[in-house]
Amino acid sequence: MTVPKPDHSLEPPSSFVYTGPMSTRGRNINRFSLSLKQPENRKSFLADPDAYMTRFNLSDTEKALVRARDWSGLLAGGGHLQAILKIAAALGQNLWHIGAHNAEIPVDEMIAACPRRVGGLPEGV
Amino acid sequence: MAQVIGGFGVSHSPSMGYEYDKGIAGKFDPRWKIWFDGLQPVKWWLAEARPDQIVIVYNDHLNHFTFDAYPTFALGVADEFPQADEGFGLRPFPSLAGDTQFGWHVVNYLVRHEFDLTICEDMKIDHGIYSWLPYVTAPPWPAPVLPLAVNMVRHPIPTSNRLRKLGEAIRGAIASYPGNARVAVIATGGMSHQISGARFGMANEEWDRYFLAHLTDDLDKLVAIPQEEIMRIGGTEASELALWFAMRGALSAKARHVYDFYTFPQITGCGVIVLDEAAR
Repeated sequence: MTVPKPDHSLEPPSSFVYTGPMSTRGRNINRFSLSLKQPENRKSFLADPDAYMTRFNLSDTEKALVRARDWSGLLAGGGHLQAILKIAAALGQNLWHIGAHNAEIPVDEMIAACPRRVGGLPEGV
Repeated sequence: MAQVIGGFGVSHSPSMGYEYDKGIAGKFDPRWKIWFDGLQPVKWWLAEARPDQIVIVYNDHLNHFTFDAYPTFALGVADEFPQADEGFGLRPFPSLAGDTQFGWHVVNYLVRHEFDLTICEDMKIDHGIYSWLPYVTAPPWPAPVLPLAVNMVRHPIPTSNRLRKLGEAIRGAIASYPGNARVAVIATGGMSHQISGARFGMANEEWDRYFLAHLTDDLDKLVAIPQEEIMRIGGTEASELALWFAMRGALSAKARHVYDFYTFPQITGCGVIVLDEAAR
């Protein structure tokens, strides 16, 4: 499988430009995610994921996204990449897993494909 | 009065820090050894410049601030700035020292010149500073740091022109500080990269090199480029390059280019440019 060359689009699924309304939508996901920076919170989460997520008012849909490691779904749901990264870290994954999931290719293929080189200068320069 | 002696713009990324620690332990990835070697002249420049104060314009990545309260501009004024735990544990480096007397002077100047920043007496610093710092100096850190965090994680972010003006105001603050302190101004962010979406890992060396080639003498041209255009061709996180305009704005028009370097190890364009105020 060949990894496609990145396009120049700022629209999903190519890009997620993080905005205020996304922040509002993802408020619970982000508060839950960022709590996982504390080691003791990571321990509580791993011991009982459902109870921990309930504490942060995650909806059933959001909980299912976390359980499925559905990084693309969490981003689309308003989670910020830098926040989602903390969930991945707690679950033993990292940025590569998120990127590969977003691009719908296996992790090792994504690692091999990077840097995914493009060219071009901004219009008008 | 104090004076700006020069400064540099430099990329940052979590992997830059992680790969440094691995490298120093004896296993440098060849792609990162190139960056390590490329930063040696910056290390020499900084040692020779002997700054008494270092202003660093950077961005936090939800490691100190959260969206409960996310400042567009935040200045740290404290004796000490601890390293932030980003969720993977702390790296083996001491806290940064701060100089509150200098910090409050800069606060006064900036607010009186219409930059109404959030002042933080507790500010933990993430890879925005810690990832490149050990490449260019070693503990004990050579001078107190004044960290200025700019929102780059949620749009709207400040405009390129606003960041240039912020740099100009920082220059004014330094020039009005009593004494004869030598102050370096550093900015860090970008270059081309995107870390989410199907474009994950995109790399635009053509754009990054264009940016490095024009920052010294063509600031107007770079500032005029819409940020969306930069994100379109360089990745959504390439918008962090706007932070470099604060560094350039803090230096005089006659600051001269003394060094630049560029490489693309994995998922972030790694570049550096050093400008010096000393006459040739």
